[in-house]
Amino acid sequence: MRFSTYILRNMLGRRARTTLTVLGLAVGIAAVMVLTGIAWGFERSFQAIYPAKGVDLIVVRAGIGNQLSSNLNVNIGETIRGVSGVLDLAPSLMDTVSFEDANLVAVLASGWVPESILFRGLRILDGRTLKTGDGRVTLLGRVLALNLGKKMGDMLSVAGETFEVVGIFETESLFENGGLIMPIQELQKMMGRGGQVTGFVVAAVNSGDAESLRALGKRIEAKVPGVAALPTREYIAADLQIRLSKSMAWATMAVALVLGSVGMLNTMVMAVFERTGEIGLLRALGWRRSRILALILGEAIGLGLLGVVVGSAFAWIGIRLLLLSPNARGFVDPQLPPSIYGIGLVMGAVLSLLGGLYPAIRAASLEPTEALRHD
Amino acid sequence: MTEFILRGEALTRTFPDGDVRALRGVSIQVQAGESLAIMGASGSGKTTLLHLLGGLDRPTSGEVFFEGKPLAGLNIDAFRARQLGFVFQSFHLIGTLSAVENVQIPMFESDLSRKARENRALSLLDDVGLAHRVNQRTTRLSVGERQRVAIARALANQPKLILADEPTGNLDSQNQAEVLTLLARLRQQHGLTLIMVTHSPEVAASADRVIIMKDGLIVNT
Ligand SMILES: Nc1ncnc2c1ncn2[C@@H]1O[C@H](COP(=O)(O)OP(=O)(O)O)[C@@H](O)[C@H]1O
Ligand SMILES: [Mg+2]
Repeated sequence: MRFSTYILRNMLGRRARTTLTVLGLAVGIAAVMVLTGIAWGFERSFQAIYPAKGVDLIVVRAGIGNQLSSNLNVNIGETIRGVSGVLDLAPSLMDTVSFEDANLVAVLASGWVPESILFRGLRILDGRTLKTGDGRVTLLGRVLALNLGKKMGDMLSVAGETFEVVGIFETESLFENGGLIMPIQELQKMMGRGGQVTGFVVAAVNSGDAESLRALGKRIEAKVPGVAALPTREYIAADLQIRLSKSMAWATMAVALVLGSVGMLNTMVMAVFERTGEIGLLRALGWRRSRILALILGEAIGLGLLGVVVGSAFAWIGIRLLLLSPNARGFVDPQLPPSIYGIGLVMGAVLSLLGGLYPAIRAASLEPTEALRHD
Repeated sequence: MTEFILRGEALTRTFPDGDVRALRGVSIQVQAGESLAIMGASGSGKTTLLHLLGGLDRPTSGEVFFEGKPLAGLNIDAFRARQLGFVFQSFHLIGTLSAVENVQIPMFESDLSRKARENRALSLLDDVGLAHRVNQRTTRLSVGERQRVAIARALANQPKLILADEPTGNLDSQNQAEVLTLLARLRQQHGLTLIMVTHSPEVAASADRVIIMKDGLIVNT
């Protein structure tokens, strides 16, 4: 018999409790995996928006956490263009619209200047892109078109105004794929924000080098008071929504760790209590304390590992269930990155130690006579 | 002077809860190879004495010597694992494990490989007449068979000493006779020293020497 066989027999000896404990751990681990996966997918999705377009810096109103709440005058674009090191620039107005019939809220609506750098990296799947002089026309992201059931040539009512769908596009960003694009002046008109933009995207002459990008940002901020010009990577990391989704993932992890380790603790304390006589016997037969410790901790680790395996399966299923909701489909990547499974594994290990160490130490400190008297 | 394999000197043991003086000054010498029965009324301190001799418990005062060396100076876990085999009245087998797995439990404290552990356990079970029951869970064995598994387990690490606390206390006279015969044969085969706590006159009659205890003291030798 292997030592591990003995541990396995102990787990199988109490099948119901083992099953319930593993299920409890699995749910916690799966929740963490799914939420972390979403938060990371969210950030990756944002990160993917800009490099494909050759955008190096984002200029928004200073002191705000979210691009959607930024508000700048479109005319400062010319001032920014005059800063040395700026290769190209494009204004952008972002807002959110709802399509209640399709049960879609907070759909990203982008107002762009036709043929500007923002259109780089956009693949037209059907129809055409926007042209200078376009009026009430719109491009739908692939996912939004799917959710709305619209195709090229259809008419679409956006916030009470009717637009013609002239094309369907796809980008690297799940977030953009769930939104729509229209000429900037149309969005300004619709939202009553004439002459306003949320920000500018800037392509730099020296785009590879992080130091010179940061320096360019400083020069822009010096030239135009009241704006923040950040390299895209930093800008995205500072975004409020991303920070929120990340802190939600962290909070879930903290809760799951507490609940999971309490559950593990409960199970293992019971297991040790029930087997006081058996542990006393092992001590009487000469088992050293460290071997008892290994026996109990081994069982906790076994439960933790099973929790990771079942939790990974739950996460795999959970993310697919989530995708059935149109609101999630826009920015949830069904493929959890491998590092998320790594997080699950680390959680399983931490839970095993947090919940298993105390009962194992208790068991190891039992005296053979006091334990044997239990029967 | 004869070297005693086990020797207890002026042993006392007081249990703090209830302030019970279970042993009140017991000295005992055991010769290598002999078989000794300890008798006495319930509560007279037999089990307490056996536990002190086996290093399961420490005396309040006095000392136990194994082959002349005080137990306090030994690695007590290793002493129990390698020099002693325990047999209990209620067997203390592990119900989730099979007979052959139970016999291997003490061998985790030896240097044997997994294969060697298994082979040794099988041959020990064969030796106690249970070759046909090796893969049974012990909960499915008769009480007589269980005690034979426990005896095989006591021999797992080739000890010099067997300590048995009422080994036939849960057995009928038929099974008791079989277990006594088995113990006698194994003692012969392996040159064991055997210390048995018992209420049974038959068990006592099978021993070389009988000690009687009363109220925490030895009243004859
Ligand atoms: N762990 C203990 N705590 C308190 N009292 C004990 C303990 N173990 C034994 N005793 C008491 O010590 C006395 C002797 O017990 P024991 O050695 O078990 O007797 P025997 O085996 O002869 O029946 C009894 O009065 C018993 O109640
Ligand atoms: Mg007793």
